[in-house]
Amino acid sequence: MQPTQDVLIPEVIQQIPLTYYLILSTVLFIIGIIGVLTRRNAIIIFMSIELMLNAVNLLLIAFSSYKSDSAGQVFVFFIMAVAAAEVSVGLAIIVMIYRNTRSIDVGLLNKLKW
Amino acid sequence: MNTTYVPADYLPILIQMGLALGFIVTTMLVTHAIGPKRHSVKKDDPFECGIPVQGDARTPISIKYFLIAILFVLFDVEVIFLYPWAVNFKGLGMTGFIEMVLFMGLLLAGFFYIIRKGVLKWE
Amino acid sequence: MFPIVLLSVFAVVLLFLGFLKSRSVLLPATLLFLVAALVANFLDWNKTYLYFNSMLRTDNLSMVFTAIVLLSSFLVVALSGSFEDDEAAQPAEYYAIILFSLVGAIMMIGYENLVMLFVGVEILSVAMYILTGSDKRNLRSNEAALKYFLMGAFATGIMLFGMALLYGASGSFTLAGIASYASHAQQGLSLIFYVGLLMLLVGLLFKVSAAPFHFWTPDVYDGAPTIFTAYMSTVVKTAGFAALLHLLAASFTYVYSFWGIILAVVTAITLIAGNVTAVYQNSFKRMMAYSSISHAGYLLIGLAALSAQSRQAIVFYSLAYSIATISAFGVLMLVTRQRGMQTLSSNPLSNESFDAFNGLAKQNPLLGLAMATSMLSLAGIPLTAGFWGKFYMFSTAVERGQIWLLVVAVLMSAVGIYYYFRVIIAMYFRDGATEPIRISPVFRYVLVAAIILTIGLGVAPGLLQGLF
Repeated sequence: MQPTQDVLIPEVIQQIPLTYYLILSTVLFIIGIIGVLTRRNAIIIFMSIELMLNAVNLLLIAFSSYKSDSAGQVFVFFIMAVAAAEVSVGLAIIVMIYRNTRSIDVGLLNKLKW
Repeated sequence: MNTTYVPADYLPILIQMGLALGFIVTTMLVTHAIGPKRHSVKKDDPFECGIPVQGDARTPISIKYFLIAILFVLFDVEVIFLYPWAVNFKGLGMTGFIEMVLFMGLLLAGFFYIIRKGVLKWE
Repeated sequence: MFPIVLLSVFAVVLLFLGFLKSRSVLLPATLLFLVAALVANFLDWNKTYLYFNSMLRTDNLSMVFTAIVLLSSFLVVALSGSFEDDEAAQPAEYYAIILFSLVGAIMMIGYENLVMLFVGVEILSVAMYILTGSDKRNLRSNEAALKYFLMGAFATGIMLFGMALLYGASGSFTLAGIASYASHAQQGLSLIFYVGLLMLLVGLLFKVSAAPFHFWTPDVYDGAPTIFTAYMSTVVKTAGFAALLHLLAASFTYVYSFWGIILAVVTAITLIAGNVTAVYQNSFKRMMAYSSISHAGYLLIGLAALSAQSRQAIVFYSLAYSIATISAFGVLMLVTRQRGMQTLSSNPLSNESFDAFNGLAKQNPLLGLAMATSMLSLAGIPLTAGFWGKFYMFSTAVERGQIWLLVVAVLMSAVGIYYYFRVIIAMYFRDGATEPIRISPVFRYVLVAAIILTIGLGVAPGLLQGLF
């Protein structure tokens, strides 16, 4: 049952049908979307967004190994690097708000309405 | 070696997970149901293990920690661009080397900027 | 390609110029850098090149879009006046972020690969999150930044999922690869291709604030410092539409029957939502936010039709829109600053309401003229650039035979005239106690240049034709 030592990673990945990866990452992605839409804490919304991005990463890796094309994996590198930059800016914004309001509940932010 | 698995092959894992989850849920429910619950001021106090609680656990900590952590994340993640280059170091040759020097140069410029801004100064 | 390299280097230089004692060198340096990038942009004129392993492309169309983006940011930076009235401001960082974000915008204009599109979008968006929240002590600015950030990151996630699905269907991130896959549309394409295309479109439409993905726009435009609102509403929109145009024209013409109707419906919703809601606004800044949504709608007409004229129409419209918007926000900045000094009102909203413009034109003819010109141009009155922009847009819809869309657009521009003229009426026919507002020379030059450009393009729209 165990894959032998010299089995390459893409082959391990390919032991599971591509559809399963598609379903798994879609489900993860939808969990992320639901989190963004229902949660009120900025940090948790933020974590849900990260979950969405990682669902995309998983999908890209699966496609990439099934197509034996490295472009998908390179894209994942870019997503990770850019997401890190986004995280730092996002956390800085959240900290800035926390210092001004002592809260990170997005429901309290209602200064801008018409 | 068996290379194809049908979903039925994963049944043992499912049973294992079901058992583990079921055990936890049952234990938690049963203890909540049969244990007596009596609250009093004395009983909820810390007992022989520390001092009475004062204030919120989330005390404001210095912004320095936050800045350092964020900068660590930023510079840490940039390393992922070094790995593919290191693996293909010979194949990419001189062009790859020059490109990586440019990349590191930009990163260093950012690092120098941070130092000049005094972010890393820790009094 | 040249502007990308130059701007990246200049932005780093600007960061270090910020360590100098005097702030006065920053503004001229930034303007100089922008001019240098503008000149370098045209080095490849009339040639088509692929750069960076065919990741980026320069041709005349992308160079014209780059020029519009650079010109808009030149005007905005000139209006910023070194942020001299703000103690807490960090002008070196602001200018550097603007230059960095321009790199992202230019990547969005000239990408040949979805990876570059993603990186460009993110560079531009992350820079915008920072600029939106740059007024750190102001709760409104904070709130706008958080909303923009959460919504923008959410949209990025959706866009990425779309890209991943497109990759899964076509096996390539290059526009050419996707186009060659889509060319087999007769034999039937896989479902994930269509889903991927839809999600990618949703992500990009979100960035250009098309309805029903526009709900963040009013809050963000309202809360951000006015100078950055001007930047956002021009540069981000131009770059976003250039990206959409290139994406649809290069890769998805074979499946037009699928997305053409969807985009047309989105266009109609955007036009109606933007124009009708703008009528009910009391704050000028918020009205401009809704007006920018409605202009996204007009620009979408050209995309939904995607005819031979679309490229030209979108270029002309985004230029006309950018100039008018920047000069309107410039006047607003002057007026709010003046009102803020006079009344010291605790409610910042009252400084930005329509009443703030009462009687403005009598004491400040230049400001009145600049504002009136830009309002007329945005409303699409003849002899201004905006008229020809709308004219070209509408003719693309006619070419494609989308008459119902044309009817909606014409009706909605009639609605638009109402709220744009409210400002003009307030300035010329209402009485208000305004003293003459001191206008710095740079401000004067920018406003005069905007008036000349708007009228000039309105009188002779052919100037821009035949360039590409």
